[in-house]
Amino acid sequence: MSKVRYESVMTADRNLAPAEHEEFDSPYTIPNDRYAALTTILHDVGGEPDYPQALYGKGEEDWEMNTYLTCECLAWRGAWNAEMRRRAENDLGKTQYYGFPYYGRWITGAARVLVHKGLITTDELGDKIDEIRARLEKK
Amino acid sequence: MARPKFQVGDTVRIKDRTTLFHTRTQKFIRKRVGTIVEHRPEWVIPEDEAWDRMETGRKEPFYVIRFKQTELWPDYTGLAHDTLETEASESWLEAVKG
Repeated sequence: MSKVRYESVMTADRNLAPAEHEEFDSPYTIPNDRYAALTTILHDVGGEPDYPQALYGKGEEDWEMNTYLTCECLAWRGAWNAEMRRRAENDLGKTQYYGFPYYGRWITGAARVLVHKGLITTDELGDKIDEIRARLEKK
Repeated sequence: MARPKFQVGDTVRIKDRTTLFHTRTQKFIRKRVGTIVEHRPEWVIPEDEAWDRMETGRKEPFYVIRFKQTELWPDYTGLAHDTLETEASESWLEAVKG
């Protein structure tokens, strides 16, 4: 990773960290209501307070439909099912769950199941991502 | 097929159980009272299906439950007869006498 990119990644990462820290970042004990809040299932957003959002139409992009098909094929070949995919999205944790695009959550879950099943390794996947990024940055 | 414990028209309350990692039973229906309006086929419960247990997971009857919106949202501003329907598996439901 180039120095410039490292610096920009670290800056963005710092901005994702909590703005307020407790005396201990990983406290020895927490109250029960904090436990309940922290273990809330991420996709269960119905009824949570929010502000009005503008609704706008957006066409599907190729990568989104390719992601959809990849996930369906993994299900068809028995690697997972739709409920495992939804769980994989919850497993991302709050920052990635809300930070990724909708199909970004799907494809990250798919990558994880491929690694979990031994069909691909994380370094193979990482090398491919780096190769594609380098190609796109050249353009 | 297990015989469904509840019949269409029965009044039920949704349990408020601790759920770790994954569930499909929404927060906003927990502890709320609704009416069974439809039976759904028996199926592997999502709490097991989510862990790759399509073959070995526990199967339960599913139900469509209808709630009054005023039951779900204390500050609901719509019409008093507005309703919402959702689904849950049998182990999430408890009978309400009435």
